[in-house]
Amino acid sequence: MKKLLVVAAFFVLALAPWMVRDPFFIHLMIEVLVWTVLGASWNILGGFAGQVSFGHAAFMGTGAYTTMILYLDLGVPPWYGILLGGLAASLISLPIGFICFRLRGPYFALSTLAVAEIIRLVALNWESLTAGPVGLLITTLPPVTFRGESLNWESKIPFFYIVLVIAMGALGATQFLARSRLGAYLLALRDDIDSAEAIGINTVQARVAGLFLSAFLAGVAGGFYAWYLRYIDPDSVFSIALSVEMVFIAVVGGLTTVAGPLVGAVFLVSVAETFREHFLVGHLIFYGLFMMIAIRFMPEGIWGRLRLKRRIGS
Amino acid sequence: METFVQSLVNGVLTGSLYAMIGVGLTIIFGVMRIINMAHGDMVMLGMYGAFWAFTLWRIDPFLSIVVWVPAAFLGGMIVFRFLLKKIVPAGELNTLLYTAGLSLFLANLALLTWSGDYRTIKLPYALMPLRPMGIAVPIPLAVAFGMAILITALLYWFLSRTPTGRALRATAQEPEAAALMGINVGYMNVLTFGLGTALACGAGVLLAPSLYLYPTVGQILVAKCFVIVVLGGLGSVPGAIAGGILLGVVESFGAVYVSVPYKDAIGFIIFLLVLLFKPSGLFGVGKS
Repeated sequence: MKKLLVVAAFFVLALAPWMVRDPFFIHLMIEVLVWTVLGASWNILGGFAGQVSFGHAAFMGTGAYTTMILYLDLGVPPWYGILLGGLAASLISLPIGFICFRLRGPYFALSTLAVAEIIRLVALNWESLTAGPVGLLITTLPPVTFRGESLNWESKIPFFYIVLVIAMGALGATQFLARSRLGAYLLALRDDIDSAEAIGINTVQARVAGLFLSAFLAGVAGGFYAWYLRYIDPDSVFSIALSVEMVFIAVVGGLTTVAGPLVGAVFLVSVAETFREHFLVGHLIFYGLFMMIAIRFMPEGIWGRLRLKRRIGS
Repeated sequence: METFVQSLVNGVLTGSLYAMIGVGLTIIFGVMRIINMAHGDMVMLGMYGAFWAFTLWRIDPFLSIVVWVPAAFLGGMIVFRFLLKKIVPAGELNTLLYTAGLSLFLANLALLTWSGDYRTIKLPYALMPLRPMGIAVPIPLAVAFGMAILITALLYWFLSRTPTGRALRATAQEPEAAALMGINVGYMNVLTFGLGTALACGAGVLLAPSLYLYPTVGQILVAKCFVIVVLGGLGSVPGAIAGGILLGVVESFGAVYVSVPYKDAIGFIIFLLVLLFKPSGLFGVGKS
C-alpha cells in the first residue's frame, strides 16, 4: 500500500509537465527537487547520524565547480560531470570528516562552518581555476539526440526529468541507508556516541562513511544546479546561507525520515519562490520563520508529525 | 617597521570592537549555553540604527549610541522572554538551530525593509585621519575604540563588583547551586540576554562609520564572533576580550604580510586548530 503510494506520487510528478505548461511552475518543481536532494543529503548526516553541519554548501559548491570546470576546460559533458562532481565532493569530505568528527555537538557545527568558509575563500581567490568572483558561464550545451529527436536545452523539461531521477535516487539511497547496517550504526551513535563506541562500533569510520554518501548527493545536486543555471559564482554555490537552507529543509520536513526532505522542500521552496516572484528579495524570511515555529512546536518536522499521528490513530 | 606598527594599531582598534561583540556572545553562552547564531544580526541592527539616525536626523552615531544600547537591552530581553526562553531547556543543538532561524528571519526582514544596497555613513570629520608619530589613525575608529573600551570596562566592573553581576557569574558557574542560594535564575537569564544583545548592538553602532553596511553583514560577523570566543575559551569574558584583540591583530597582519584575500581564512584556520588541540581556549579558561 505504502509502496503503491510512492510509485503513484512519482507517476503524477513525471506527468506534471504535461498537465501544467507554465514555465514558472516547471522551474518551481525543478527547484523543489534540487532542494529535496540537498535536504536528503543533509538529512543523512544531520538526521541519521545526528551531526549538525553548517557547512554543506562546501560539497554543493565543489560539485558545481567540478561539473563546470570539467565541461568548460576538458569538454566532459555535464551528465558525466555531475557524477564526477559528486565524487569530488565525497573526496574532499574525507579530510573534512577526519578533522571535524573529532568534535562533538555544537563544536562540530561551528567547525563545519569554518571549513566551508575556508573553501569558499579558496574558490573566490583561486582565479586561475575558478575565475574568482566573475564566475563561470556555459554558453552552449552539447547536443543530444533522444529517441531520434534532438533535446532542446532551452526548454526546462529535460532538466525536470534529470532532476526527478536524481531526487528519486537520493530518496532511494536514504531508504536503503535506513535499513542498512551503516544506518543502524549512525542511529546508534546519534542516540549515544559513548555507548556506540562501547559496543564496538567504529564511530569515526561510520560518520565518515555517512558524510561520504551525504557529500556525494550534495555534490551531484550542486553539479546539476550549475548545469541547469549555466552560471555559477562562489556566492551562488558556496555561501553560508545555502548550508543553512539545507538544514532548514531537512528539519522542517522531518529529520531522520525518508520523505521528510521532499515534504520540507515542497513546502518551503514553493512558499519562498512564490514570494520571490512578487518581491524579488527576502524570500528566505519564511525559512527563518518556519524553522523557529518547527523547533518550538514540532521538532519532529511536518512529515514526522504526520507519521506520528497516523501511528497513534491506527 | 612603520608598516608593522601601523598594522598593529589597526588590528588593536578593530580588535576592540570584535572584543565587545565577543563578550556579548560569550556571556550568553556562559550563563545559558546558548550558541546565539543571531548575534551577528544584532550587530547589523545596531549598524542600521546608527545609519538611519544619521541619515534621517543627522545624529552622530557616537551620540545615538546612547539611545540604541538601552533599546537593544530592552529588545534583547523581550526576544529572550517571548521567543527563546522555552527553547533553552531543549538543549544546545536545538537552540543553535532556532537562533539560526532567528538570524535568517532578521537578516531577510532587513533586506525587505531596507533593500540589499551597500550603505555607508560619511562623517564630516572622517576625511582626514589623525597622524600621531606618522601613523594614520582614522578618527571614527579611534573614537569607537575609546567607547568600546569604556563600555567593556563598565561591563567588567558590573560583573565583578556589583551584587547583580556576582549573581550573574554565579549562575554561569552553577545554575542550580545559584538558585539554591536564592538567586532568581530566570531573571539572570533575561538580564544576560539583554546585556549580550546590547553589547552586540552597541558595537554595531560604533562600527557603522567604519564599515559598509548591508543586511547580511551579520553572517560574516557571527562567524568571526565564534572564532573570537573559541580563541579565548567559550564562556570566559577576559578570554573574549583577548580573543577579539588577537583576531583583529591577526587579520591586520595577515592582510599586510600574507595576503588580503586570505586574511579572513587565517582566522578560521586558527579557529579550527584551537578547537582541535586546545578546546578550552588559548588561555585554558573556557568551559568545553
